[in-house]
Order: sequence, then structure tokens, then C-alpha cells
Amino acid sequence: MIDPITYFYTVLLLSMAVNLGISLYGIFYKPSLIKKIISLTIFSDTANTFAIIVGYIRWKAATQPPQPPVLTNLNPTEKDLVTFASMSVDPLPQALVLTAIVIGLAVTLFLVFLTLQAYRLYKTTDVREIAKLRG
Amino acid sequence: MMSRVVGVIVITLFITVFSLVIALGGLGYVLPPESVRELARQYLLIAYNPFNKTFTVFSPEVVTSIVWDFRGLDTLFETVVFYLAIIGSVALARGFKSSKPEKDISQYGLSPIVKTVTRVTVGMILAVATSIALHGHLTPGGGFQGGATAAVVPLLVLVIFSRYYLETRGVSKNAMLAIRSFGLIGIGLTAFIVLIIGLMSGMNAYVFQNQPKPDAPVGLPALFDGQIISGTLWFFNLFEMFAVAAGFTIVFLLLSIPERDVFKYLKEEGGEY
Amino acid sequence: MEPDILIIGIMGFLGLISVIATYLAVTEKNLVRAVIYSAIQSTIYAFLYFLLMAPDIVLVYVPVAVGLYPAIILFLIRKTEHEERD
Repeated sequence: MIDPITYFYTVLLLSMAVNLGISLYGIFYKPSLIKKIISLTIFSDTANTFAIIVGYIRWKAATQPPQPPVLTNLNPTEKDLVTFASMSVDPLPQALVLTAIVIGLAVTLFLVFLTLQAYRLYKTTDVREIAKLRG
Repeated sequence: MMSRVVGVIVITLFITVFSLVIALGGLGYVLPPESVRELARQYLLIAYNPFNKTFTVFSPEVVTSIVWDFRGLDTLFETVVFYLAIIGSVALARGFKSSKPEKDISQYGLSPIVKTVTRVTVGMILAVATSIALHGHLTPGGGFQGGATAAVVPLLVLVIFSRYYLETRGVSKNAMLAIRSFGLIGIGLTAFIVLIIGLMSGMNAYVFQNQPKPDAPVGLPALFDGQIISGTLWFFNLFEMFAVAAGFTIVFLLLSIPERDVFKYLKEEGGEY
Repeated sequence: MEPDILIIGIMGFLGLISVIATYLAVTEKNLVRAVIYSAIQSTIYAFLYFLLMAPDIVLVYVPVAVGLYPAIILFLIRKTEHEERD
């Protein structure tokens, strides 16, 4: 039969993919600028979650979960270090996602100020009306 | 209303049934994987290794050591991108001034119950944020996490008291720009300090170096009076916290100027507002 | 029920609820309610990061996506329009 761990993991991956699809639909087909900004933040957060899911590993036994990448023993022996390297999750996607969150935040901040300025000039945030204005 | 309930049910059924189909058919490989990749294993082994002084960073927190030492240049350019976003926003809002308050300052804002509770919790939030930032090389945390948590405090004071209260306390746009510049200069100086020490004592050294390496025997100390500070990591976390908190405060101060002040300034400048 | 099946089962369930929150956030006409649904989805993601053993990301994500993003977008909504037209 099926392995329940694989089934639940596949449910998680597929729901992230559906999240990507829904937020892409929100960016393209909704006419309000503010709704586009909200959908863009959901899109970038879902892409970051994908990267962190890739770094997870399988449980070694039923009661031995994987460890976060923090060493708790400040005087380790060689064997302690090898055990730590085999029980811990992947630290590299977490470091890259940290950078990605900051860059997404910077772009969103700038987009918010641009939307404010566009509203002050054109008195509307509807993309179809702005497209009709300048000929 | 009904169409949205139907849409939610359809999407949930689609996900559960389709993943059952995929998991039954077998994927050919094991999900989730059994062990980490070889590159990650190497990073985990050498981040805190007292026996391997050539490559170690001497920080038991592996993610912070990747962010500020193994991949330090990535973080430097991320700070540059954030700096450009703040500068762009300040340039789009240049010249806006807010008017003087019309009533007494203590009459603005929400009720006295909310103000008293805020006075108590603001100190606690600042203490937790500083602890997260300064312990970033020992526990999960770091500069950006502490800075983002400390940026919640000006937002709370802005909404609950008023923006005139912040101005009388000295938190203005120019003061925050000065603090942000101080943080960025600190980051730049910490990146170059090992190079300066190496040049002054005549030995070989690199930019962004942390611990001594085989052909560049200069570095910042990893232990200070018995406590672990991991060389340049502690200073990076401290300056990054100042820079990030001040940057967010600038954005909130610019976003809270009322629209009638903005239009008054734009009409004075001319143009068809 | 063994612990590993329970934890990964909770992860799958949280994924499903985040799909519901995203769908409600994208198809809602009142913009203030859309921001609240987006904040609910961010809280679910933060709990998911905690279960995936990534404590640094939880400490970044909770102040940024649950505190600062909705605050900035609520400032923006207050200065522009409240409702999205068809």
C-alpha cells in the first residue's frame, strides 16, 4: 500500500504548487493595483517555502526527529560533530531564503510608494482606467 | 458567496485525490530524502570545529556563519538592495513636511488604557529585539531578525500615540537617516578592518576575512575573555540591527504624512494637482 | 499513531488550510478583508517553518509578514481606495 509519510509530503508539495497558481492568477487577472501587490507577496513567500521544504530529511527512527542546524554542545568531540552532521536539516536553503525575504521586502516597499504616487496623479488604482487615460 | 465555497471545496478535493494518485503510482525515488547533500554536510562539519583551525568560523549557529562568513558577499549586496529601496522611497517623497498640531498633543491618539499598556510593552519589545540581534552567533537570530522586531516599536507608537508625539521625542526623518548611515558605515568598516590590520603590520590579508587562514595569518579573535564572539560576526549583527530598524522607521514616518499636507505642498510647487 | 506520521500529517493539513486562505485572499472584493486573509496565510506559513526546523526563518517571517506587510498595505488602503471594482 502507500506510505503515509510520502502521501502527506506530496499533499504539502501539491498545495504549495496550487498556491503558486492562485497567486499568479491574482497578479495577472485582478484589476486593482493593491490586489496585485498582495498577490505578489503571497507568490514570493510560497517560492521561499518551496526552497525550505527541499531541505527537510526523513526521520531516522519513529521517535528521533531531525535537528535544526544549531550546535548545542560547546565542547564537542569528533564523534559529536559527525552525529550532528547526520541528524541536522540542510542549512544552505535557509541562508538563501533569508536574503530572498529581504529583497522581496525592498521591492514591495518601493512598489507601495509608486502606487501612492500613481493614485495622486490619476485619482484611481484601476489598471484598465489608467491604460485608457493617455490615449 | 456560494461560488467561493464551491471553489474551495473543489480545490481541496483536487489536492487530496491527486496526491493520492501520485503517491500510489510511486515516484521512483524516496520522498523526503534520507540525508543531506554533500555540500551541506561539509558546511555543518566545519562551522564550529575546534580541531580544524584552517576552515572553521567558530560559531555554533550554522546559518549565521553561512550568511556572514561563507557567503558574506551575498549579504553585502542584499544590504545594498535594501539601501536602494529606502533611498528611492525617500526621493519619491522629498520635500514633504507635516504641519504643526492643532490641539494639545496628549489629546491625539487612542484611549488611556491602550496608551498605558503600550508604555509597558515597548520596553520589553526593545529588550527582546536587542537580545535576538546580539546573540545571533550562538542561538537562532541575527541582525536582520533583531532589526525587524525592533521596527515594530515605532509603528506601535505612531498608531497609538500620534506622529506629533514621535516628532517631539526627536524621532524625525533626518535623525533616522543619520542612524541608518552610521549602521551602514559600521558594516563597511567591519568588512575592511582585517585588511587594514594586515596592511599596517605588513602581512597578507583579504577583504571580508574573519578568522586566520593559511596564507593570511591575520584575523579578529574568536574568543573574548572566555566568551565566544566569533570574530566579525558580532559586529556585523550589531550594525545591521541599527541599519534595518532605522530604515523601517523612515518608511513609516513618510507613509503617515496626511494627504492634505501632501496636496498643499504639491500645489505650492505648481503643476496640475 | 507514531510521532513522525503525526507531524508530517499536520504539515499536510496546514498546507491545505493555506490554500483555502490564499484563495479567499485573492478573490475577495473588500481590500481590508483581503489583507487579513493574507496575514492568516502568513501565520500558517510561520507555523510550517517551525515544523520544518528552520528557527532563523521563523524569527524573520513573524515580524515581517504578519506585522510590517499588513501595516504598510493598510496605510496604503487608507490613502487610496477601499474596494476593488469588477
